This record gives sequence, structure tokens and C-alpha cells, in this order.
Amino acid sequence: MTSERQPAQTDREREESALRYSEENYRLVVETAPDAVISIDERGAILFANPATARIFGHDPTELIGKPLTTLMPEFLRKLHEKGFSRYLATGQRHINWQGTELTALRKNGQEFPVEISFGELSRDRHKVFTGFIRDISERKQTEEMRAAHARQIAVRADVSMAFGKDEGLKAILGECSEAIVRHLDAAFARIWTLSDDRKMLELQASAGMYTHLDGPHSHIPMGEFKIGMIAQERKPHLTNDVLNDPRISNRAWAEKEGMASFAGYPLSVGDRTIGVLAMFSRKQLTPDTTETLASGADLIAQGIERKRAQEALQMTQAELARVSRLTTMGELAASIAHEVNQPLTAVTNNSNACLRLLAADNLKPEVLRRALEEIVADGNRASAIVTRIRGFIKKEPAEKNRVDINDVIQEVLALADRELYENRVRLERQLTKALPLVLADRVQMQQVLLNLIMNGIEAMIAVTNEPRSLWVESRVDESGDILVAVRDSGTGLGSGADRIFTPFFTTKASGMGMGLSISRSLVENHGGRLWAAPNFPIGAVFSFTLPVSAGSPV
Amino acid sequence: MTTASIVFVVDDDPSVRSSIKFLLSTVGLQVESFESADTLLHKKLPDVPSCLVLDVRLRGLSGIDIQRTLAARNIQIPIIFLTGHADIPMSVRAMKAGAIEFLTKPFRDQDLLDAVRVALEQDRARREKEVEVTDLQRRFDSLTAREQQVIAMLVSGMLNKQIASELGTAESTVKVQRSRAMEKMQAQSLVDLAKMIEKIKGPSEKAS
Repeated sequence: MTSERQPAQTDREREESALRYSEENYRLVVETAPDAVISIDERGAILFANPATARIFGHDPTELIGKPLTTLMPEFLRKLHEKGFSRYLATGQRHINWQGTELTALRKNGQEFPVEISFGELSRDRHKVFTGFIRDISERKQTEEMRAAHARQIAVRADVSMAFGKDEGLKAILGECSEAIVRHLDAAFARIWTLSDDRKMLELQASAGMYTHLDGPHSHIPMGEFKIGMIAQERKPHLTNDVLNDPRISNRAWAEKEGMASFAGYPLSVGDRTIGVLAMFSRKQLTPDTTETLASGADLIAQGIERKRAQEALQMTQAELARVSRLTTMGELAASIAHEVNQPLTAVTNNSNACLRLLAADNLKPEVLRRALEEIVADGNRASAIVTRIRGFIKKEPAEKNRVDINDVIQEVLALADRELYENRVRLERQLTKALPLVLADRVQMQQVLLNLIMNGIEAMIAVTNEPRSLWVESRVDESGDILVAVRDSGTGLGSGADRIFTPFFTTKASGMGMGLSISRSLVENHGGRLWAAPNFPIGAVFSFTLPVSAGSPV
Repeated sequence: MTTASIVFVVDDDPSVRSSIKFLLSTVGLQVESFESADTLLHKKLPDVPSCLVLDVRLRGLSGIDIQRTLAARNIQIPIIFLTGHADIPMSVRAMKAGAIEFLTKPFRDQDLLDAVRVALEQDRARREKEVEVTDLQRRFDSLTAREQQVIAMLVSGMLNKQIASELGTAESTVKVQRSRAMEKMQAQSLVDLAKMIEKIKGPSEKAS
């Protein structure tokens, strides 16, 4: 550190001393640096390599002296380097950035790894010396790559989950899933097939990317045939990064023309059951994280399909149950309807029999016959009118929403329940608000809901013998501007089962499926309304439902 | 059937009502129809053999209510029930309460006519019996207290001597009272008298 000679320091000596100090300092920095520091001459031969070179490249620094720099490069970079290097020497044109360039390096054991290089040049005796700092960024790269892969996986899962959360058909949902795979995994195209009910045929449900048609030759693939059918049958993924030489890829010419590099196909399985196949082609190599993302996406899609199907099946069952329950309500009504129809039938039979008797006694006067026939015709018409009224209730039709006045629906249902009301000595009070805004509703379904609530109200009052039985039916506009219909009874009230009355199959009645209220609630909710129960004061219960006012309804 | 009988029809349905009336009229029956139980119950029923044809399900008071009300008023008129559908518990209740028949609408005309015939005959028989009992009661009421006492003892099987000792009187006195009572009751024999007393006692005991 200090001068060698004590007495007097010449300028040169001071200069030399400073230089030595600088060289010393430089040597220390270079030797202790964590990065490889390598100098080369104009021919590209290595002049110097620091100790870190051994750790990073696996080469002993002394071994490297005189060797070409390309020793430390993978094959594919050597030509590029040589070309760029000689061009620079000839023209001074740099072919890469000299500070912080990311490149691939080669270890002694043949392993390639990412590096970040910064270098500079120094002229000495008209010769140029290049010195570079080479940093091993494998770990950083790996972390970055992991993060990106993780983000891709999350993105795919999120998009798939979101697609299944939408209230759409399965085809549309799977379409979004395949788009998510193309978008996040850089696939050329992605497709999803589902297995038919007889488990013989894979049916193309979705295709995204360069092909989006669903009616091509791949629209139906028999189980066990071609790569897709085999994936389904074997219930094993098929992955390849060498599409051109993979025996399962049949359309090699196409793959070559389109520049396809990889294929990945995953079975969609639920438990030990295959329900479809997810597959993609890519122009890039498959990486472990791509396949991992695909595998987890396939799981999610399979579960989603299964759930969606269960949901659809449940909806169908509910629709069927709604029909059955309507018929059950009909059954409850059948008794009073039988009476209604029997009245005119009885009159017809009596009048006819009376005429026959008079005829047999040769005592049937034309005037008597005419009057009897007129009554018979009138009663026949009456019976058919009753039948027409009932028919609306037993039709099996999907919801058909029209703009209706809820008061009309209430009046129709009360007409039907009329007999039931007075036979059970129920006093009915209508509290209908006139000129209500119209609602967009399926008339038959709303009749069903109301009939259900009214019949429930009547039944709740059967046990009441010491008090008058009253049923109030009210219609009005509620605080939020919706139409509110309330059915209030003076019956036994909700009691302990209050919180369960809307649960399917919960019933307090001896006969009854316990579907009425649960179905009524789902019908009302399908109309954008709510149905709830509350205690009535001083006794009984009140069931209310709301329906949104139809847009453009005159208020 | 005599024209003196009358059938009351109660049904809230006017065409059913008039058709029943028409049907019954073909066999010469006199019919009076009502649309509700109230109108029937407010009417003083004529004193001729009659029966009721009642719809079970009526507005206001039901057919079963009418049956109960009539029974409470001790009006014994046979009832034929009509119903829109066979309600077994209700029909059992009605039959137990003394209904003649329970017919499901629409019924066979012959079934209704048969039921009406049975009902009217039953009512006529009851009325005849009632007239006889009333007559006997009137005769019995004309007896002195002692004569009634003697007759009651005789019917229970006591001899003149026993009655005399029981009442603390002479046997000859008992004989006189006995023959006077037999005369007033228009009884031909002791057996005849016993039958008469039986007839009087029957309904009066039931009523108490």
C-alpha cells in the first residue's frame, strides 16, 4: 500500500505507487467478485478469468487462458457471437447492448443457464481488451418464471371458475374455458370434448384460437380412437414437445405447415369416470408449468361440467316436481271441482231421466220436453265452462311471461278456491288496490303460487273452531315500488317449523309433499321477486310475495 | 203413494233443484224446494208424511247441520243426503244420525225414487203410531191418580189382593177402580191394557 522506497518519492514513483494501488484494488475487487470476470483479446481468446468463473462455469480459470470465449457459450450462440464480434471490430457497430444483456451461457458440464452480461473495452498498445462481468441469473430467472407460471395458473383457474359461475349453457361456458387456455398458455388452439351419455362418442363442445368451428371432422370422435379418443379411454394425459415425430399425431403435414411444436391432451375426469377431453396445440414447447396449469385447469373444468350437469338435472327435476305439485294441489281441489262438475251433470241426468219416464208413460208433452232440453243444454254448457277453467291449471308449459294485472290473477284463483273457502266456513276479504302497474309474469305460475298460499291458509284454519276463520288477500305497491301480494289467515300460525317451511319436503300436513312453498318461492324468485312468511297478529300467518313492475307499465 | 205426502228438496244449485223436482213430479210426488237450510228451518212444516232431500255441501248451514238442528227440535223427518263426491266419514256420520240414504251425484233416478218412497213410508208409519200414542195418552190422562196407580200395579203383574194391601184399601175398591180404568182406556183385556201402557211409556221415557 505504501511506497517501497522511503527517502524521496519522485513523481514517477508516486505515479507507480498509485498505479500499483489501483491494480491491487482492482485485483481485490475482481477476485472477490461474486460474478465471473473474464477478459478477452481481439481474437476472442481468454486472457483472464477470475476465481468466480470456476464456481459459475465449472472451469478452472487457468485452464481457460488462451481458449476462445465461445467455450463458455452454447452452440447456437457461437456463430452469432463470432459474427457480431468481428463486425464490431471492423465497423465499431455493437450488435448487443453492453450493459445488462441477458444471454445463455454454457457450463463445463454442458448445462445451459441464463446470465446477465455487462462488459467494456480497453485499448492497450493498440490492442483492444474486452472485460465482462457475467452474472448467473438462474435463480432469479427461475423465481420470475415460477411467478409468471403461478400467475398463469391462477388466471386460467380464475377464468374457468368465472365461466362456470355464469348463468349460461354448458357450451358457452366451455367456450370461455378454451379461450382462457389459448389466452394464458399461448396455445395455437384449444378444444374441449365431452363424452356422450352412452360413453361411446366424444362430442366437441368448444374450440378457441385459430380454429373455432365445432362441425369439422373432429366434432365426433369415437371413444378409444385417434389421440383424443385414446386419452379418454386410457384416462392418461398425452404430452409431446415433438409433434412431427409423435406416432399419435396423424396429421403431420398439417402440423409442419402450421409450425406446431407441442401437443397436450388431458382427460377430464371426475373420480374414476372420464367425462371428456381437454387438448391444445402450441407452436411453443410445453414447459412443466404449462402442463401443470393444464392439468389443474382440466380438473376444474371436469368438476365444473359435473356440477353444471347436476344443476341442470336438478332444475329439470324441480320443474317436474313443480308440475307434480301442481297436480297435487289439483288433487286437493279435485274434490270441490268434482262437486262443481257434478252439479250440472246431476241436473242433466235428472232432467233426461224424468223425460224418459214421462215418455214411457206416454205422457211427455212437447212443452215439458222443450223446457227440459233447454235446461240440459244450459247445464252442458256450464259443465264445459268449468272444464275450460280447469284446463289452464293442468297444462304443462314452460314459463311464458306476459304483462299481467296481478288483480286479475287473484280474482281467477279466488273463483277456483271459492268452493273450498265457503265449505270450510272461511270468510274472505279482498283488499285489492285498483289500477296497479302491470307485472311481467307467467300467469299460470302465479295462479299456482297464489292457489298454494290460499289453500295453505285454509288448511291452517281447519283446526280453528272457536274463532271466526278469515282469509285476507291483499294487493298493493310496496315501499320499493314492487307489486306486493299478501295472503293472511287466522289459522294456527307458523309455529316451530317457521324456519323450515320453505325447505323442500318439509310438511306439517298429513297429506302433502312439502313441495308447495319451496316451489312457490322458486317460481316467484324466477320472476325477480321474493316470497316470505311472517306471523299475523293476533293469530295466524301472512305469506307475502313481491313482483317487480314490468318496464313501461303505466303507473 | 198418496198425494197428501210432500218432499222437501234443499240444494243451492237452482238447476239441480228444479231437475230433482221435475224427476219426482213424474211419479206424482209433490215437491217443495229451498235454496238454503235457513229458509227451510224458518218454515212451519205441514203435518203430512214428508221427507227431506238435502245436499250435504250447502252455503251457510250444511245438510249435516240441518239434520242436527231438526233432531234438536225433535222434528223427526227422514232425510236423504246428496253429495258431490263420496265423503265416507261424512256419510257414516249422517247415516248414524238416522239418514235414510246417502246418494252420490249424479245418482241413478231409481235410487232417489226408492229412497224417497222408503222415507215417506217410514214417516207415514211414524205419524200413524204417533197419532195412536197421542190418543192413548189422552185416555190415560183422563184417569184419576188412584186409577193410574192401580193400572200401573196391575201391568207390573200384581194381584188385586196385593194392590189392596199395598194401597191400604179394600180388595173390592180395587176391583171397581180397575174396571173403571179398563173402560176409560177402552181395553178389552189385561193384556190389551199392558200393550197400551207400553206404547205410552215408550216414547215418553225416551224423551225424558
